[in-house]
Amino acid sequence: MRLWMHELRLLLRARLALFALLLLGALTIAGIVAGIAEVERQRTAIEAIAKPQAEDIGAIAAWVDKSRDPGSAAYYSFHPTWDPPSPLAFAAIGMRDVAPYMLRVRALGLEAQVHDGDNFNPQLALPGRFDFAFVLVFLAPLFVIALFHDLASGEREAGRARMLDALPGTRRRLWLRRGGLRFALLFVALALPFATAAVLSGASLVAILAILSVTAAYLLFWIALSVLVSRLRWSSVANAATLAACWLVLVLVLPTLGHVAINRAITVDQGAEIALAQREAVNRAWDIPREETMRRFYASHPHWAGSPPLPVDFHYKWYFAFHQVGDESVADRVRAYRTGLEQRGAAARTLGWVLPSVGVQAILTRLAQTDLSAQLAYQDRIRAYHARLREFYYGYLFNDRPFCQSDFAAAPRFEP
Amino acid sequence: MSPLRLIARDELRLMLRNRVAVIAFALLVLLTLVAVATSWSHQRGVAELRARQQAAAEAAFDAQPDRHPHRVVHYGHFIFRPLGPLAAFDPGVDAFTGNSMFLEGHRQNSANFGDVRQSSLLVRFGQLTPAFVLQAVAPLLLIFLGFGVIARERERGTLQPLMLQGASRGQIVAGKLGALGLVALLAGLPAMLGFALIAGQPDALAAPMAVIALGYAAWLALWTVAIVLVSALVRRSRDALLALLAVWAVVVVLLPRVAPDIASAAYPLANRLQTDIAIARDLRGMGDSHNPDDPYFARFKQSVLARYGVTRIEDLPVNYKGLLALEGEKMTSSLFDRYAGESFAAQANQNALVSTIGMLSPAIGLRDLSMAAAGTDFTGHRRFLEQAEAYRYDLVQRLNRLQAEAVSYANDTAGDAGADRRKRVSGNHWQAMPEFKFRQPDGATLADAALPGLAVVLMWLGAVSILLFLATRRLGVR
Repeated sequence: MRLWMHELRLLLRARLALFALLLLGALTIAGIVAGIAEVERQRTAIEAIAKPQAEDIGAIAAWVDKSRDPGSAAYYSFHPTWDPPSPLAFAAIGMRDVAPYMLRVRALGLEAQVHDGDNFNPQLALPGRFDFAFVLVFLAPLFVIALFHDLASGEREAGRARMLDALPGTRRRLWLRRGGLRFALLFVALALPFATAAVLSGASLVAILAILSVTAAYLLFWIALSVLVSRLRWSSVANAATLAACWLVLVLVLPTLGHVAINRAITVDQGAEIALAQREAVNRAWDIPREETMRRFYASHPHWAGSPPLPVDFHYKWYFAFHQVGDESVADRVRAYRTGLEQRGAAARTLGWVLPSVGVQAILTRLAQTDLSAQLAYQDRIRAYHARLREFYYGYLFNDRPFCQSDFAAAPRFEP
Repeated sequence: MSPLRLIARDELRLMLRNRVAVIAFALLVLLTLVAVATSWSHQRGVAELRARQQAAAEAAFDAQPDRHPHRVVHYGHFIFRPLGPLAAFDPGVDAFTGNSMFLEGHRQNSANFGDVRQSSLLVRFGQLTPAFVLQAVAPLLLIFLGFGVIARERERGTLQPLMLQGASRGQIVAGKLGALGLVALLAGLPAMLGFALIAGQPDALAAPMAVIALGYAAWLALWTVAIVLVSALVRRSRDALLALLAVWAVVVVLLPRVAPDIASAAYPLANRLQTDIAIARDLRGMGDSHNPDDPYFARFKQSVLARYGVTRIEDLPVNYKGLLALEGEKMTSSLFDRYAGESFAAQANQNALVSTIGMLSPAIGLRDLSMAAAGTDFTGHRRFLEQAEAYRYDLVQRLNRLQAEAVSYANDTAGDAGADRRKRVSGNHWQAMPEFKFRQPDGATLADAALPGLAVVLMWLGAVSILLFLATRRLGVR
C-alpha cells in the first residue's frame, strides 16, 4: 500500500499527468452535461406534445361534429408518435439528433409520412455530437498516449532504467503498479462521472456495468498498443508520434474509409424511389375504375368486404382504400430498403470487431438505443400504431357509422 | 550559399533520413489521392443519380393522363437537389440535408432521405474528402515532421554553435520555416491536383476555387508557423510534440463539436410537430375555405362577385372553386414562408454563433470558408429550399389558375356519374408546366460568402506570425 501511495505521489507530481487527468475528468463531465441537456430538450419536447395536440384535435372535432363524417375525421386528424430517449441516451446521442423522435401520422398512406424528418440544422450536426461516447472513443486514447508513451522510455532517457532493472525481483511488479495506477486513474476520470449520471437517470445496472467494461477494455487496448510500441525501444518522442499516428488511422481514417466501402458494397435503393413509386400507385387510383381498387383492397382485407357498394359520388372509404393499396404496392421495395439499411448497420458492427473505435461506438449506441436499429424499431412501432389507426377509422368508414365528437377520444393512442 | 538555405536544406535532409517521416508523408499523399478519387466518383454518382431521378420524376409528371387540375396539385412533384461542381472537394452538409423534396399544394414538405439516415453509424466519424484530409490530417503530419525543428537543436545544444558560426536568429528560424513550409506545400499539392481536376469540369467557378486554394494555403502556413513557434518556445522536443498535439485536438476535433451544442442551446429551433400544429392553428384563425359560413371567405366571395359585376358565383366567367384554391394557396404559403423564415433565422443565428466561436478555432473558420465557397453550407441548402418553395408556389398556382379557367364551375360542383369525366383537362397541360431548374449562385456570391472564414484564418496566421517574430528575438537567450 505504501508503495502504491508513493507511486501516486510520484505520478501526481508530474504536472503533465495531473493536468491530463483533470482535463479528462472535466471533458467527461462536459460531455455528459451536453448529452443530458440534449436528452432533456428531447424529453421536454415530447412532454410538450399533449397540449397543442389536444387543442388541434379539439378544433377538428368541433368542425367535424357538424357533418359527423368519419372520412373528414380520419383525413384531418394527425396523431402523435414519439420515441422517448432511453436512460442511457445521454451517453451516446447516436442518430437522435438527425432522425426524428416525434412524428405525427394520419390514417392515409404511411409511406408518404414515415420517412419525414424533423427540423435540424445540418451544419450543427455535421461535426458530430459532443457526448460521453465522443470523449471515450475520440479523446480518451489521446490521454492514454499522453500518460503511457514515455512510461519506459522516460526512465531510460532519465538514466534510471538500469537502476530500476537492477532492483531485485520487483521489476515486473513495478511496471504493473505504474501502469495499473495510470489505468485506474484514467478509468476513474471516465467512469465516475458516467456511472453517477447513469445511476441518477435510472439506467439498468447490467447496462452500466457493460459500458464500464467496454470503457475499461477500450483503455486497455490503447495501453496495450502503447506497451507494444514501447517494446521497440524508441525515444519518447518517437513513441508519442507513432501512437498519435495510430490514433489518427484507427479513429479517423479507417472508419471514414469503411463508410465509403460499406456504402459502395451494399447499394440501397434510394428511399426517394419508394416515395416516387408510392405516389404513382396512389394517384393512379383516380384514373382507373374505383371498383378495381376496392376489389384489390377487399382481397387483402376480407373483413371489410361486406361493406355496402360505393355510391355514385365521392366516398372516403375508397380514398383510404387506395392509399392503403398504394402502401401495399411498394411493400417489397420498403422491405428491400430496410434490409439494405440493416445490412449496412450490420457491416459497420462487423467492422467494429476489427476497429475498436467503431466497436465501442456501436456498443454504446446499441446500449443507449440510439443507433440505426433503434431508429428502425421506432418506425416499426409507428407502423403498428398506424395499422391500429386505420382499423379504428375503417370501423366507421366501412360501416357508414357517424363520427361524433366523443369518438375522437376513442382513437387509439400511441404507446411508446 | 546563404545560411538560411543551408539550414533549410539540412532540415529537409534530416526529415528525408527519418524513415517514419517519409512513410507518413507517403501515406498522406496516398490518402489524399484516395480521398480525391472516392469523393469525385461519389459526387459524380450522386449527380447522375439525382439527374436520372429528376428526369424520371419529370417524365412521370408530364405523362399524367387527363386529370382535374386539383388532382395534379396533390399528385405533386419531386425535385432533387443538384450538387455544385465543388461538392467533390467539400460536400459539406449534403449528406445531412436530404436530397429529394416532394412538392404539393397546401403543404411545405421537408427535404427527405439524407444519406445520414441511410448509412451506418460510420457516417458520423466524418467523410473521407480532400477537404477532410487537408483540414484534419495534413496539420497532424506537419506536427510530426516539425515539432522538433528548433526544440531539437536546443535540446542537443546545437543552437548556440549554429549562432556562433554566424547564423542570425532570424536566419535560423526562417530556414526552419522554409523547410517545413516546403513540406506543407508538398503535402497540400495532391489535394490541389485533385482540385485542378475538378476545375476541369465545365461549370466550375474560378473565384470560389481561388478563395479555397488561398484558404487552405493560409491554413497550412498557419500550422507551419505555429509549429515552429511552439518548437522555439518550449525547452524539450517532447513537450513541443505533446503541446502541439493538444492544440490540434482542441482546435480541430474538440471545439468544432462543442460549438454546435452551445449554439443549439442559445437559439433553440422549433420542431416540426410544433410548427405543423401552429400552422394549422393559424390557418383556422385565418379562415376555412371549406366552410361556406366562414367570414373571411364570405368577404372574399363578395369581392370576387363585385369585381366581375355579377351576383351569383354560377354567373362568373371563371370557376369560383379555382379562385378559392388560388386564394387558399396564397394564404397557406404566406404562413409557410413566415414559419420557414423563423426557422431559417434561428439556424442562421446558430451558425453565426458557431462562427464566432470559430474565432477561437481557425478550423471552424476554415470549414466555413470551404463549405461556403463550395456552395455546400447551410446557405447553399437554404438557397435550394427557397427556390424549391418558389417553384412549388408557382406550379400550384398555375394549376389552380388552370382550374379556374379550364374547368367550368357547373362541372366542378357536379356529382353525377359522368361529372368526373367532364372535370378533367387535357394531359398536354402538364407538359406545358415549367421544369424546376436550380440556379447555382455565381462565383462572386460564393467567394464573398467565404471571406469571413478566410479572414479568421488569415487573422490567426498574422497573430501567430507576430508571436513567432517576438519569439525569434529571444531565441537562445537563457
